[in-house]
Amino acid sequence: MNYRWHATRVIAKRRIFETLITPGYYVAQAIGLLLAYFLLSGFTRSVDSSGFDFHLQPLYDLFGRAVEGAFGTVVVQKLFAEGPFQFVLHIAFLPVILFLAASSVYRFGLERKVGAVELLAYGPADGTSYFLASLIKDVALTLLYLAVLLAFSAVAAGLYNLALGPTFFVSLAVLFFVSVAVYAYGILSSTLTDNSASALAVFLALMAFFLAVFLGSFTIVSGYVRNLAGVFAWILKWISPVFYWDQALRATEVGGWPLFLADLAALLLLSGAVLTASHYILKARGVRP
Amino acid sequence: MNARRTLAALALLALAAGGLSADVPVREEQFIYSILAFNGRDYSATFVQKTSDTLYLIAGVDNFLTTRNAFVYYWPLTQDWKTDTSVLNVPFQGTLELRGGREKAPRIVASARYTYYNVRGEYELNWKVAKGEEADQAWKKYSDLMDAYYASVQKYYQARALYEGLLNELTIRITKMRDQGQDVSKLVAALQNMSAPKEPEYPKDYVVPPRPVEEAFILNLPVGEYSIRFLDADGTVMEGSERKVVVFQKRRSEGTGYELIPGDKWTRPVESTTPSSVLYIDGSTELYLRPFFEQEYNDLYFEKMQRNDARGNPSVMKWVRIQQVPQARIAVRLPGGQIQTVEEKPYYVEQVKGASLGYKIVPFDPQGAHKDRDPSLRAFQVALGKDATRAALMVLDRNGTPLPGGERQIRVLHPAKAGFVALLLALLPLAAMAAVLARRARRLVS
Repeated sequence: MNYRWHATRVIAKRRIFETLITPGYYVAQAIGLLLAYFLLSGFTRSVDSSGFDFHLQPLYDLFGRAVEGAFGTVVVQKLFAEGPFQFVLHIAFLPVILFLAASSVYRFGLERKVGAVELLAYGPADGTSYFLASLIKDVALTLLYLAVLLAFSAVAAGLYNLALGPTFFVSLAVLFFVSVAVYAYGILSSTLTDNSASALAVFLALMAFFLAVFLGSFTIVSGYVRNLAGVFAWILKWISPVFYWDQALRATEVGGWPLFLADLAALLLLSGAVLTASHYILKARGVRP
Repeated sequence: MNARRTLAALALLALAAGGLSADVPVREEQFIYSILAFNGRDYSATFVQKTSDTLYLIAGVDNFLTTRNAFVYYWPLTQDWKTDTSVLNVPFQGTLELRGGREKAPRIVASARYTYYNVRGEYELNWKVAKGEEADQAWKKYSDLMDAYYASVQKYYQARALYEGLLNELTIRITKMRDQGQDVSKLVAALQNMSAPKEPEYPKDYVVPPRPVEEAFILNLPVGEYSIRFLDADGTVMEGSERKVVVFQKRRSEGTGYELIPGDKWTRPVESTTPSSVLYIDGSTELYLRPFFEQEYNDLYFEKMQRNDARGNPSVMKWVRIQQVPQARIAVRLPGGQIQTVEEKPYYVEQVKGASLGYKIVPFDPQGAHKDRDPSLRAFQVALGKDATRAALMVLDRNGTPLPGGERQIRVLHPAKAGFVALLLALLPLAAMAAVLARRARRLVS
């Protein structure tokens, strides 16, 4: 165990260093922050004497009408009730989580295929310590980005005279725990497949599926799509990070902090379960396909 | 050749005229449930047609259901379904079978005579439901009140006519006597002592008067899911009358919302219902606020309770305005820490003269410019101005106690000042990347 932990630490440090000296992470951060900037300035242009009205700005009008049509007016009202930051946070977080998860999945698949993981496994490291290191790298860099995002949001809030709002801080915590589960699913996808392309495809399909089922069950339209999505959501909710994300945010709406903490704990449990499954799959399938 | 052309032209005209005919909606005879559902502040009338399998009611309040055959049609202009009861309106006599909830055995609900009304009180909501004999008494009381009022109005008009006749006669006599050079002082004094009869006041006992007594199935149920079906006078189940009944309740009621009327957009009020929400404004005009009590309901259930063919999101809860907070005050905390207490005042909306059109809200002046008129609104005026940055609001009840969920922040946005700095901040990761890559390149070279 100590050997595995040591190997994990060493590999994780190396991977963090490698990520920090290459442009990808910075570019993903810049994309996220630029999106945040455009959304924030768009929000301020959507405010007139009677308050926020998304029809006043083309970008918000497009988004607002789409969300209103799919999920109803109340969802748009709630999303922007405290200001733009809850929405901005989620959008700005996407490029970085996608970059970190996709690059880890791709690299894991590639290194398994070319035998790099096998080579490591001849030493003190094994497949599990390799993917745990990858997880630690992703988690550490996510924390770093969330700190950057928090700093940017705080400064922008001061500049534009906007309020960050309590939901922003709650979302910040929830997003971190959700990202751990997403990275765990990335590792699972890599252990299930034989090459990087299929690992990436499985991972993206899985995430898209979780998201589609959630959005389907959340739509305003009644009928076949909603019923089907509702059934899927009921079956899949226990293994979907999106479900716990939704539950945690709902709990805070009514001040249900014990339930909020339980949802965060459930996200950690889910991540643990997915990683355990990955460990056994890797053990059964071997470090080289 | 000419005849052919004329024929072709006439044929084209006939075709075009065919296209001009009005699009009459298709009306279909259907068995429907007509519903008068209490929505927390009022009664909403809706109906459940054959394609809808569920009706929605609030728990613990009286809701009225009737069954009838009527024409149902879709009206594309308002995008909703309507009934045409002017042509066909056949109510059914029978009973309602109710299953579900805590009771295992089905319950037979008989129709009952009822009326409902809202009496004037300190608060807006003083709804009363009268059933059976009580309903007849309530209706009689209202009818007697109105009869007495109309009788007094009739008396008033008679007295008025008498008064005006007398006045006219006296005026003519005075004029004649004056022309003849006689003393009119006694008659003038009599004229001055005459007083016009007082017009009777319209009864103010009711905000919403009782309706004529009708029969309906009165459902007052606890939260749960039920099923109903209609049994006719023979006890036979009416085909197509089975429906699910969802009885729901508010999730929270300790909320206070604000209606915001900007000084330059009287016709575009907005509502701030979420207790943690922030009011962002551009500071170009003053705000007129009206705090109200609110309750939180499931979006879909509430919408469908009010209009059965409405859309809503079952996964979302929404705050619903119930009534204005009576005798409230608003405490405004400014950035310096000083607190101003704003009182509710009457205002009048005036149309702006000149090319700009629009409206402006001015203080109501009952003695001057707005004599013999009613104020357009009673509200709390909060003027921040463009130089202000923020303020915090709090609704206080009549005792000065803050109302739960009544805190709001107002923030005045100044976007132009901040844009460039925020853009530079967003590009910082690229600057960090450039620095890391440059340092790395230097290291590799050395």
